[in-house]
Amino acid sequence: MDHQATGEVLKNLLTVAWLLPLAGFVAEIYWLRWSNRLSKSSALCAVACIGIGFLCSASALVYWGCHTDWAVLKAEEHAEHHDAEVHDHHGEAASAHADPADATAAVDAAHEPLVNGAGHQHAADDHKHDEHKESHANAGKAYSGTFYKLAQFGKLSLSLDWYIDSLTLMMFTMVTFIATCIHLFAIGYMKDELTEEYEDHQVHTSHGHFSRPGRFHRFFSYLSLFCFSMLGLVLAGNIFQVFIFWELVGISSYLLIGFYIERKSASNAANKAFIMNRVGDFGFLIGLMILWTWCGTFQFDNTEAGPGLFTMIRGTDGVMKVSDDGTQVFLQDAHGHRLENDGKPSSIGYLLLVAAGLGVFAGCIGKSAQFPLQTWLPDAMEGPTPVSALVHSATMVAAGVYLAARFYPVFVPEVLLVIAYIGCITLFVAATIALVATDIKRVLAYSTISQLGYMMLAIGVGGWGAGLFHLITHAFFKSLMFLCSGSVIAGCHHVQEMPRMGGLRRKMPITAYTMLIGVIAISGLAIPVLNIGFSGFYSKDAIVASALAYSELNPVHILLFITPLVTAGITAFYMFRLWFLTFYGEPRDQHVYDHCHESPRVMTTPLIALSILAATCAWGWFLTSGAGEEGPLYRMIAFSETVPATEQVKSRGPAQITLPSHQGHHSDVHKVHGQAGMLALLAAFAGSAFAYVIYGARVINPNDIRRQFPQAYDFLVDKWRFDVLYEAMFVQPVHIVSAWCAGFDKKVLDVILHASASITLVVSKWDRLFDENMVDGLVNMVGNTTRSVGYSLKVVQTGRLRQYVMWIAVGVVVLFGLLFTSLPK
Amino acid sequence: MDFQSLFQQFLSGGGTLQASTYRSLVLFLPELILCGSIVAMLLARLTSLDKCIPTHWFALLGSLGAFIAVLAQFWELSIDGQPSTLLFTGLAVHDEFSVFFRGFLLFFLVFVVALTVLSGIPDQEDAPDFYTLLCGAVVGMMVMSSANHLLMLFLGIEMASVPSYAMTGFLKGRRQSSEASLKFVVYGAGAAGVMLFGISLLAGLTGTAEFGLLGERLHSIFANGFTASHPEARIAILALLMISVGFAFKLSLVPFHFWCPDAFEGAPAEVAGFLSIASKAAAFALLVRFCMSVTGSAAGVVQGLSLTMGLGLGTLAIITATFGNMAAYSQTNAKRMLAYSTIAHAGYMLMAVSALLVLRSTTGSELAASPEQMKQAIEGLLYYLAVYMFMNLGAFSIIALIRNQTFSEEIDDYKGLIQQAPLLAVGMAICLFSLVGIPPLGGFYGKFFIFAAVFDATRVHWFMWVVLAAGGFNTVLSLFYYVRLAKTMCMDVRPVDARQVSMPSNSPSGMYVLLVCGMVLVLGVIIQPLSRVANHAAAAFF
Repeated sequence: MDHQATGEVLKNLLTVAWLLPLAGFVAEIYWLRWSNRLSKSSALCAVACIGIGFLCSASALVYWGCHTDWAVLKAEEHAEHHDAEVHDHHGEAASAHADPADATAAVDAAHEPLVNGAGHQHAADDHKHDEHKESHANAGKAYSGTFYKLAQFGKLSLSLDWYIDSLTLMMFTMVTFIATCIHLFAIGYMKDELTEEYEDHQVHTSHGHFSRPGRFHRFFSYLSLFCFSMLGLVLAGNIFQVFIFWELVGISSYLLIGFYIERKSASNAANKAFIMNRVGDFGFLIGLMILWTWCGTFQFDNTEAGPGLFTMIRGTDGVMKVSDDGTQVFLQDAHGHRLENDGKPSSIGYLLLVAAGLGVFAGCIGKSAQFPLQTWLPDAMEGPTPVSALVHSATMVAAGVYLAARFYPVFVPEVLLVIAYIGCITLFVAATIALVATDIKRVLAYSTISQLGYMMLAIGVGGWGAGLFHLITHAFFKSLMFLCSGSVIAGCHHVQEMPRMGGLRRKMPITAYTMLIGVIAISGLAIPVLNIGFSGFYSKDAIVASALAYSELNPVHILLFITPLVTAGITAFYMFRLWFLTFYGEPRDQHVYDHCHESPRVMTTPLIALSILAATCAWGWFLTSGAGEEGPLYRMIAFSETVPATEQVKSRGPAQITLPSHQGHHSDVHKVHGQAGMLALLAAFAGSAFAYVIYGARVINPNDIRRQFPQAYDFLVDKWRFDVLYEAMFVQPVHIVSAWCAGFDKKVLDVILHASASITLVVSKWDRLFDENMVDGLVNMVGNTTRSVGYSLKVVQTGRLRQYVMWIAVGVVVLFGLLFTSLPK
Repeated sequence: MDFQSLFQQFLSGGGTLQASTYRSLVLFLPELILCGSIVAMLLARLTSLDKCIPTHWFALLGSLGAFIAVLAQFWELSIDGQPSTLLFTGLAVHDEFSVFFRGFLLFFLVFVVALTVLSGIPDQEDAPDFYTLLCGAVVGMMVMSSANHLLMLFLGIEMASVPSYAMTGFLKGRRQSSEASLKFVVYGAGAAGVMLFGISLLAGLTGTAEFGLLGERLHSIFANGFTASHPEARIAILALLMISVGFAFKLSLVPFHFWCPDAFEGAPAEVAGFLSIASKAAAFALLVRFCMSVTGSAAGVVQGLSLTMGLGLGTLAIITATFGNMAAYSQTNAKRMLAYSTIAHAGYMLMAVSALLVLRSTTGSELAASPEQMKQAIEGLLYYLAVYMFMNLGAFSIIALIRNQTFSEEIDDYKGLIQQAPLLAVGMAICLFSLVGIPPLGGFYGKFFIFAAVFDATRVHWFMWVVLAAGGFNTVLSLFYYVRLAKTMCMDVRPVDARQVSMPSNSPSGMYVLLVCGMVLVLGVIIQPLSRVANHAAAAFF
């Protein structure tokens, strides 16, 4: 079958891209065996691995496109057509069943509930339509299969699977491209480590600075391990496998944050990141257990053994079948029928499904540093800057968003609402903290958190494509900005405080202007009427539009629109503040300025490559036509959407949510797109202008503002006092409880233990007496008896031959005598 | 009878079950190969060929070739599943049981030849003599294991015994060795005389010497029940008793064991190891076949005779095992101690035969034991023999290897051996613990199978409970002297003036010890293959 063959080819290409970094990791770990600390060869090996991986991913993407005749880019007409049909049909159906209550009573309970305006499903003649929809929803989009079956426990089978759709391909290409750039950059950035004697200026010992052998190869082996884990996460075909690689990226991140392990702050930050993530993973595990208990499978896609998770929950047409009372969700098989177990339909409780979704999302919260687990990410900036660029902005932290998107079919609207609010809170909190941060990397870190919040918000309000669109664009411009900051830090000899910089654009122009591209992209600035901007403009636009459409349909949740809008302005403000403080104006620290220099080419080339993509990745083939949501990037992503969003979807759950439709020109999102875009652009301009006024033109002194609102300022500088709160809420109570436990241990348990020990001693003394006298006596008696009998038997064996031979005769006679006396006569 | 008809008979054979002479010769091939290698060795010496090609190669190749021939026969039998074939007009029998024992003996022969090569006994001058005797003895034992005729029985025993006498006295310079040999010869002659007397009585009484017919005749003699009132019955019992003396001599059963400790102490350890295993295995093969033949035939089983023989052998087994274990306790010479241990183990193994006969005595009654139960008794015996081969060979070869370095076989000279040659000490400990029957070593399963068979037999006769109890009790008794030797080797301190012993595990001898002791371990863990083969061999009687 052609479909399968294509899948095989894609799988093979991506598997190569996935496993090469693993091979690189293994090789680099042992690199010193055949090389020395001064050699850059380990880095070249890592770059080669990930570079070939990028080529494989890119060719997989092209191959996929060719084999689908680039249907993805032509999808618009199809969707258009389909959209119209649905609307027509809807009209018919609505007229046929004017009274919705009547309709509900008339039809199969499982069919009716979730889809508002899906009256077409009630009609008896809609069979053809269903088929049509089915082909649209899932068929031909995803390729899946199994690499290797790990184990089978009862009906639970654990395996290594693969699941490839356009999202997987996009993620692969993005991750491998950015990783290649960052690997190259890191060759320059980490060159200090190419030494036998690396002196760490931030670690003080009694003899001055701490020094150790350089760890160049180790850094690259960790990076390779991370790439392997990240790609494995994206390629994974079941949720358990996702969990495995989830933890693997966690450990890689831990190793990389703690790369300067001798620094107390670095090792603390590594621990913090690891522990915070465990909190989220705890929820993840609970979600997994619920899903396995009720669905009995971890697979995303259908297999020969049975339907996958997505099909079970969403069926073939993307519609959940909720029972009449709204408490049960019926599981479905691959043909759109209900799954049955002993003649009863199998189902999962609605609230359980909510719990499972929230559990899995808890993992995403931890990994993507969302509120309330966001505090680890700024601290993670203790790692080397390339790590921050790759792991903590572009890829790993986006894995949470990726998982939320991948798992979207399993999320019920209530879970989506939680996701939206979490994203909303996060994006605002982080943006406000970024306003006052002075460490260049921390500003970027908070900006990352805030942008991840945008993505979560988008997914929560049903803007599936918008969120992932922003994921990709953000990956480009954020990794670009992190690399620029790395270039600045390297150029300024590890000065990270912005107040000590200023005017650097004259010293490092490439860094400054590539950074400016990133800043413009993230701020979402554009040429107003033409609507031409850098990538961030389009993706943020899409998110704000989704949010607006959502809040129009659900007016209660108006905050979900206002917050991101306001935050768009704040984003523009703090990003321009960063740029002005660093590159613009006059140098504030002459010493830093004098010694700073532009980075070598190995570092600036990746900057330029990334800046091109950060600017253009959302554009269409020609600048004006089909950019943004009509552009190839968005279409490529949205093609994989498993839950069709051609109509409004009304939830029957407790939250009473209506999700907006966002496919086609008649959709809710499209209708408000212009309005939302304008508002966002306005906010961005306002923010940028304000930043220019304060930090560029210096009309207003920021210190004045600070003095004006000292409490608010302190509150923000203390990062909303989350660390203090957690210290008081969790750390202190744990200390108190453990003090109590220790006391209990000492005062009660030890006493019991000692008492039992002394009792045992007494008993054993008695036991010993018994053992020595009775048992040993018995054994010795047997032994001694044996011994004496043995010695007496020695007498028989005289060694005299005559006697022996006589014994033969005696033996025969005696035996014969015995026999005859015993036998019956 | 002219040549024509002789040749015709050569080609066609007698009855349906009897193979033609030609076919008989083909099935006799392993023995012929061994005989051929004996002739080759003697010729090589005549032509001084043994100066350039060491004689042990002839022996090794001959035994290996013969073993392969037996393997082929076993394979053929396991595929055909044909019933037993009578060879040479009924003198010998070819079935799974005889093939198993012939294979066993040849396999063991390979190991013994390897051991003698490693330990250097005999020297080059004596090698042709030694290997001729060794191979000759094995031919005799193979004849024993396939004998189907009283004549072959006697011939086999004597063919196995005479080379053994000579091998016992092989260290010509040692007075002790010569003395042991002389004692062995005289004692053997006495026992052979008694047995021959028994054979002539039995043959005269029944008018046949063929095993197959013996059972029928005895059945008719004891047609009126098994009593000694009838003179013919009395003579028959006496004859069977006297033949049993011959077996008792070969198996060193008490009270016909006197030769054993003296002969083992005098003989080189290699020869002692050979005698303790090979001649015992052959004797058990013959005993089982003889007992199965005389106690029954197609006409039916003589229940009383079978029961009496079973209980009598059971009594002998108890006495033998207890005596052997008791007497071993006071020994100071390792070989002598193992000689008594050998006696005790013959007792254990005899329990299996006893259980077999007791179970068989129920044939035809309502309590009848299933063939499967009887098969299990034989299977236990065969498994025990196989494990016994490795553990006893291991013990004797370690004694030989130590002797080569310390020139002593006294237990006191083994003190603290673990500090100098851990391989030897640990290997010895494994063999000793297996001899005790401690899991997970092979000896445990051997004992377990035999005791299980005895337990099966307890429902037939209460006396088997006594046998079972005695078996268990003896296991405890044996612990004392085995563990004492292990303790001497592993826990005592080596005296400063003791001779240095070294045995690296990568030397050929070290690997030999590793292999043999490893097999003891393996047979205690992987039981299925060997027990299935043993079961298959046991099926020859049912």
